[in-house]
Amino acid sequence: MPEPREPAELVTAAADGDRTAWDELETRYGPRMWAVARASGLSPSDAADAVQGSWLRLLQHLHTLRDPAKVGGWLMTTVRREAHAFLRKRHDVSPFDHDVLTLEAVDDPDPASAVLEADGRRLLWKQVSALHEPCRTLIQLVAIDLGNRQMAARLGMPVGSVGPTKARCLEKLRTLISSQETAQ
Amino acid sequence: MINDEYFLAALRLAAGNDPIPSHVSAAARDVYGLRVPRAVTATPAARAAAGPDVRDPDGCHLVRFVADGLTFDLEVTVGDGLIDVAGQVCPHPGEDAVIDVKTPHLTLTRHIARNGDFAATGLPPGWLSVVCHRPGRAPVQTRWVRIRP
Repeated sequence: MPEPREPAELVTAAADGDRTAWDELETRYGPRMWAVARASGLSPSDAADAVQGSWLRLLQHLHTLRDPAKVGGWLMTTVRREAHAFLRKRHDVSPFDHDVLTLEAVDDPDPASAVLEADGRRLLWKQVSALHEPCRTLIQLVAIDLGNRQMAARLGMPVGSVGPTKARCLEKLRTLISSQETAQ
Repeated sequence: MINDEYFLAALRLAAGNDPIPSHVSAAARDVYGLRVPRAVTATPAARAAAGPDVRDPDGCHLVRFVADGLTFDLEVTVGDGLIDVAGQVCPHPGEDAVIDVKTPHLTLTRHIARNGDFAATGLPPGWLSVVCHRPGRAPVQTRWVRIRP
């Protein structure tokens, strides 16, 4: 089994016509891009468009990425921006997506996207396990996209309390992660 | 501070819920087939005092892209869920030059009239890009834009 190639190597190879390098990029980053698009609030069909659009952007920037080693962060930032543009266009009568039209390529990927790396995800899940109830269960239910009504039934709380509790639990988790990052 | 989207995305990934559908992965892989080697990317440019997208008196939407001395003016109309594109490339890129109007599923090749006009009709909504192939020179390709029905 050959060693997996470094991201910068994959970008250079794809730019030079190596389709297998492109497929490897998709295998590595596609699932994360989908998760970002869906977490941004897009429907499955809009998320599919946003992900496809982000790959089209990469295709046009294969030769011009400032730091090909950070292609993962570049893709996450791009799909997040595409998702925001999709969400903003809802009241726009033009068939063109204005924000997509004017969206410039990202030179510096968002460093916060590192939470999507395997290590970041492991740390996040470890912190979820360290939360007290009801936050631990609630965050697990948020992760599987359960609606507020079903969450209320599972947690034995009024539906109206789910939103504020969710916000408090996410804030606690954020604080835990921040203190962990500060301690490192 | 981690953005909410990354935070929730990381939770969703860790939970293994809502994995990427296979057709989305397949579409991403197929994108590579749309590569135009050596192409120069034309970016949106303002038309006079307006922005890159202007509605003309007939209700059509016009958008301009510029690169490498070439200007594309595209006019998009939407009817019955399909897209019609009428465009002009300026200055005329030469007699042997051709235009490809590309979508992820379909590429239509068009000759360019003497005045630089070209047109393509009945395109599916979604991502669209126009490429001008000029013999002996690098192709110029507009940035991909999403057209909604």
